[in-house]
Amino acid sequence: MPEVKKTKFYGVFKIKGKISTINLVPNQKVYGEELIKEKSVEYRVWDFWRSKPAAAIKNGLKGLPIEDGIKVLYLGIANGTTASHFSDIIGKNGLIYGVEISDRPFRELIPTAEKRGNVIPILANARKPEDYENVVLSKVDVVYEDVASDDQVQIMIRNCEKFLKPDGFAIIVIKSQSIDVTKHPRQVYKECLQELEKYFEIIDKVELDPYEKFHLFVVMRWKG
Amino acid sequence: MASYQVRTFIGIFFVDENKKIISFKPFPKDPKEVAPLLNEKSEAPAEIEKFVKENLLKYAIEYKFVKNQIEFNQFLTKVNSELTKQKIKESASRDNLIIHVNNAVEELDRSINIFVERLREWYSLHFPEMDRVIENHEMYVELIGKFGDRENFNDNRLNQFKEKSSGMEFNKEDIETVKLFSSDISKLYELRKEFTNYLSKLLKEIAPNFSVLAGDVIAAKLIAKAGGLERLSRMPSSTIQLLGSEKALFRFLKSRGRSKSPKYGLIYNHPLIQNSPSDKQGKIARLLASKLSIAARIDYYSKEYRGDQMKKELEAKVKGILSLKK
Ligand SMILES: C[S@@+](CC[C@H](N)C(=O)[O-])C[C@H]1O[C@@H](n2cnc3c(N)ncnc32)[C@H](O)[C@@H]1O
Repeated sequence: MPEVKKTKFYGVFKIKGKISTINLVPNQKVYGEELIKEKSVEYRVWDFWRSKPAAAIKNGLKGLPIEDGIKVLYLGIANGTTASHFSDIIGKNGLIYGVEISDRPFRELIPTAEKRGNVIPILANARKPEDYENVVLSKVDVVYEDVASDDQVQIMIRNCEKFLKPDGFAIIVIKSQSIDVTKHPRQVYKECLQELEKYFEIIDKVELDPYEKFHLFVVMRWKG
Repeated sequence: MASYQVRTFIGIFFVDENKKIISFKPFPKDPKEVAPLLNEKSEAPAEIEKFVKENLLKYAIEYKFVKNQIEFNQFLTKVNSELTKQKIKESASRDNLIIHVNNAVEELDRSINIFVERLREWYSLHFPEMDRVIENHEMYVELIGKFGDRENFNDNRLNQFKEKSSGMEFNKEDIETVKLFSSDISKLYELRKEFTNYLSKLLKEIAPNFSVLAGDVIAAKLIAKAGGLERLSRMPSSTIQLLGSEKALFRFLKSRGRSKSPKYGLIYNHPLIQNSPSDKQGKIARLLASKLSIAARIDYYSKEYRGDQMKKELEAKVKGILSLKK
């Protein structure tokens, strides 16, 4: 009998040594992840090779501000691999606004979103928050950004200005290779953090090697 | 007293200037029907609109549109899925046709090459002298379809060889079979012509400025490589200059600067670069790329035709570069 253990992360469990979330839509896989049933509860294994917050947890992240019932603005949601675990954690009362610029991933994202009922797919450019301000009904608790572009820090700041609650959290995945290939990743991180510190209080940061090379996962609080 | 209309995804609210709801006209509870209704904008002041939006859940429950937040979220998800599907349909624009036709032409070229190589080796058993004399692939294929057995050839370039050919004899079935092969290859050539004509038409329609500067072949390849006109229009000209040189660029990055950095990609084949001395090519490539990037933007945003004028300017500038002393 596998034993299920709580972790310090809200809605995240350890089962058979693997971190997982409770499946919001039982029997449905999102990206080929393993499903484990225990005492009539179904858990979805959170694959740290496929999803950056899972890699961050694996690498010693101290806390994740994703909780039951909150609203998240997700920039660069792609096909919803990571968002599906957030969707598990925030539950049916929570809501994820998922912005994605490329139309390709929507083929997979839309069915996932419709089944879950708490993920709103938005085809838009995160550089133009005006284009989706109609859809985002009210300010959100968390802005999560994983867009891999050279202006990713600016994109984050602009979206927080528009959509984040005054004491809300922001999570950014910095990809040094998208920002400057010629500089050492640590140097790129340092420069990004300096810029971010003008707007945010940095709470925690972990590098995602070896799961994602040259990526830094940063949790912050908006100074508003 | 002024009243404003605020359009939300559950229906239309009529609100007075004190932000009091006067009445509410609900939309049908079917996401597919609601999505098209949202294309119209509200005309209320931003502040009133914001107020209604922020309280939408409360109103949705008050007016019994939904029972609770869960149902509300589900409805919101479904409506936005519909809106996104609608948007994707619109944005899956005609430039995708260019990508597919261009790639089909490239694939045809690869297939034709493989088949012609095979045909040449095969038919050389019978008429080896023809292989060197007729260098043009399409001509080679056509001649076999037309004459079949080397005895029947009537072609100035070949008549002198056919009598004393060192090739083996083919019987009737041998000939018929190789003719069948050549006629199918000819059909592929015809298909290729159809495709390139169609491609020219598409380019005129979708990227008139860009294709007049780049030439049809390079224009189609660049659009395909970039993944569409929209992406191309967002690229800086330095990227356009290098499009199609990914392998060389990768080699450069891996060598940490020890190998030569590539100067140009697909645009290297442009006549303005090909016909210029090598010490001027870099400069011309930069110029061409910057003009192409402007043209791509015009094509994406307005399609207003300025191609002839831009082409003249480009050629004048190239002349200027060519006349410069080193
Ligand atoms: C690394 S992927 C995200 C993977 C996803 N977060 C996950 O873990 O499941 C980055 C995504 O950001 C999208 N993207 C890049 N630039 C964007 C922009 N300006 N606005 C919105 N999305 C963007 C890309 O199309 C891509 O799908």
